[in-house]
Amino acid sequence: MTRRMKLMVAAGLGLAALAGSSAYAYGMQDAAGELRSTGQVGEQADGYLGLVGSAPAAVRARMDAINIQRRAAYTQLASQRNATIEEVAAATACQIFANRVGPGQYYRLPDGVWRQRNGNEPVPRPDHCG
Amino acid sequence: MMQPNLTRERRNASLGRMASLRSALAAAAALPALTGCVQVTAPERPIEINLNINIRQEVVVRLQEDVRELIQQNPGVF
Repeated sequence: MTRRMKLMVAAGLGLAALAGSSAYAYGMQDAAGELRSTGQVGEQADGYLGLVGSAPAAVRARMDAINIQRRAAYTQLASQRNATIEEVAAATACQIFANRVGPGQYYRLPDGVWRQRNGNEPVPRPDHCG
Repeated sequence: MMQPNLTRERRNASLGRMASLRSALAAAAALPALTGCVQVTAPERPIEINLNINIRQEVVVRLQEDVRELIQQNPGVF
């Protein structure tokens, strides 16, 4: 009886954790996309988000939070693949530029100029993508 | 007898003055070239993202499959 109760409690806790994590994931699903769609934040060829113009502190804080998560992810992969953080970040930018920058959203190549993606025209690949 | 000597001296003196004038002119002409060597001009191009320093392109290409997974494993971050 007590063992069954323990099992039930464990199962319940497991389910709650699962629901919590999926809800968390759902809530965070498009945090970067939401920022990009405001037009105040764009994707840079260095693998990080950047401010397109001047933006409220709240927008900057959300952007910084995402960039910190990105850097952590880049750092981990870099150590696993014997690459530098900058290389992982630049490699990720290739994928982001190809797949994540939506119509009307902003991107910045190494020339430092912010450009807006025109409709469904493809975003140019940074030179380092090969 | 004194007159020709004087004129010769005067001519010599004037020749010397001309020579020094010529060297001064040459020095003046050389001056802009010298200043050109040390001239510092402000960069015309805008500040660029510091990207091309530590990046090996073959590594970037090799990492493409890994970063695709990285993006999928971190929803909301990319």
